[in-house]
Amino acid sequence: MKAWLILAGGLALAIVVAACAGHDWVTPADLWRAIDGDRDLHSRLLFDWRLPRVLAAAFVGALLGLGGAIFQGVFRNPLAEPYLLGSAGGAALGATVALLVPLALPQSLLLPVLAFAGAWGATMLVLGIARVAGAVDAAGLLLAGVAVAAILGALRSFLMLALSDETVSLQIVLSWVLGGVQTPTWSGLGVLALISFACVGLALLLASRLDVLGLGETMARAFGLDVTRFIAIAVLAGSVVVAAAVAFGGLVAFVGLAAPHIARWLVGPLHRSLLPASALVGAIVVTLADAIARAALPPAEIPLGLVTAVAGGPFFILLLSRRLRA
Amino acid sequence: MKAVAAKALILVLACVTGFAPAAYAGPIVVRAALGRTVTVPEPPRRIIPIFASNTEIVAALGLGDRIVGIEAYTRYPKEVLDRPLVGGRLGFSVDAVVDLHPDLVVVTPSRQAANQLIDPMERMGIPIVVLLQRSVVEILANIRLVATIAGIAPHGEGVASALDRRMALVAEKTKGLAAPSVIMITGQLGNGLMLVARANTYTGDAILRAGGRFGFPGTLALAQVSPEAILRADPDVLLFAGTERGLKDLIVRPGWSDMRAVKARRAHAVARTELLIPGPRTFDGIEHLAALFHPAAFAR
Repeated sequence: MKAWLILAGGLALAIVVAACAGHDWVTPADLWRAIDGDRDLHSRLLFDWRLPRVLAAAFVGALLGLGGAIFQGVFRNPLAEPYLLGSAGGAALGATVALLVPLALPQSLLLPVLAFAGAWGATMLVLGIARVAGAVDAAGLLLAGVAVAAILGALRSFLMLALSDETVSLQIVLSWVLGGVQTPTWSGLGVLALISFACVGLALLLASRLDVLGLGETMARAFGLDVTRFIAIAVLAGSVVVAAAVAFGGLVAFVGLAAPHIARWLVGPLHRSLLPASALVGAIVVTLADAIARAALPPAEIPLGLVTAVAGGPFFILLLSRRLRA
Repeated sequence: MKAVAAKALILVLACVTGFAPAAYAGPIVVRAALGRTVTVPEPPRRIIPIFASNTEIVAALGLGDRIVGIEAYTRYPKEVLDRPLVGGRLGFSVDAVVDLHPDLVVVTPSRQAANQLIDPMERMGIPIVVLLQRSVVEILANIRLVATIAGIAPHGEGVASALDRRMALVAEKTKGLAAPSVIMITGQLGNGLMLVARANTYTGDAILRAGGRFGFPGTLALAQVSPEAILRADPDVLLFAGTERGLKDLIVRPGWSDMRAVKARRAHAVARTELLIPGPRTFDGIEHLAALFHPAAFAR
């Protein structure tokens, strides 16, 4: 109970701090005036631009934390992460195709669908390579993930070089690649909120089976779990979550890796608690990172993905070294 | 109340200084780049032009005193350099722009400007115009467009047609003369590759209008070429957009001193401010290029 209070309080505090942060720091009183319907230009800026952005960052972070927790559960590997397993790279390639290749369908539909197809396809490819190579352990998955991510990154770069004769679309793709939360309209934020809660619900359906799988494949089979089928379903679910995060937040590295670890310290390893706790930790981390991105070097804005990578990279190295030593 | 008082004061000042913009009969609606229709309710008095070229256009129209913010790489004209910055290399701040209470933002789609600013400005109800500059004709159209929005369309027409006449004069002088092949190096990459001016850009257009032709046959898919390709193309005229010193460093490299352009003393440094900023100074650049391409015609 105490852990949940810390998480909920932490998120509320992070949202308030982030909403106050920016090129101009505002006070909570200014925020309240803006929410209360003040029509001054600054209040409108806070209400129509900064608040949706802060809340969108929280949801994107929640999805990343959730996706990370699912992947770490499926692969029984604390180093598993949407980025290292290729799914984020796949989602980014899908999104690049949606943004740059002239296709017959509307972009609002294509973008999430192709991001999902990319995320899912890349993760299945990584899993398949590791299986064929007979190395479904941490090292095998990470190596396959690195190779697939490199290929996907190259394909994405090629598309950007070859297809963007119009600078604006290139800028949009670039801002994705560097990671940055798009500022939705309030109705867009509503959609993101619905998707996020649906994803948490979807993930909770997998919780007990993820716990069983955590005992090892042999043990899980003895408990009556169809392991191969379950892994396929869980990867699919994880890909949906990652695709949603990438569609709204671009490539934001390391949150999916770090959030489940922090959540595990707070609520323990059982997925029924771990999944929502990872989402909350992810939300706190990205909300704060996005605030740093907006406020650190005014008037410019640092791409969010760079902030999380600089902060998260050392975290990954620490985990890796501890694991290798063990 | 304060805002009303400030507006009244500005109006009084404008009348006293004789610089009152013509008021619109009604809101003005213009079609601008990216298929956007922009509605401007009244002549803007607080303009934020983002990027050097847009700042120069606004200033050339005599609207420099209405500029309330610039970006970090604006270097000209001097009198606007003290204005607050709204962004730089790392992009642009919506907060900083809105802080200045602009009633017109002029951007160009590079360094994320269009991507970062169009959506928030539209939500705030601040008119934002995107200008493209792929050719000299587009630069002239931009001057006319900004003047129209500012409520000084006749003045803008005067500025643009004066520039247009200068181009006609260059065209007349270079008419019938053999066009030298030209390669203009606009930058060098860390890996040794060089950026060159190519077709379908205003810099490429400037080369053609000055009576030159491209040293590389066909259109280049990418702006980056290897130094070897430049040596092989062996143009009549080699241009380096930068300093004399930069040009010297370039042509002392092995092989470069044997180029025809270098031997014939037709390797020149040209001003980046004139040929890499698509504003009114581009027309000075074209005249300078024409004089380099056809020295005899311009000596007369």
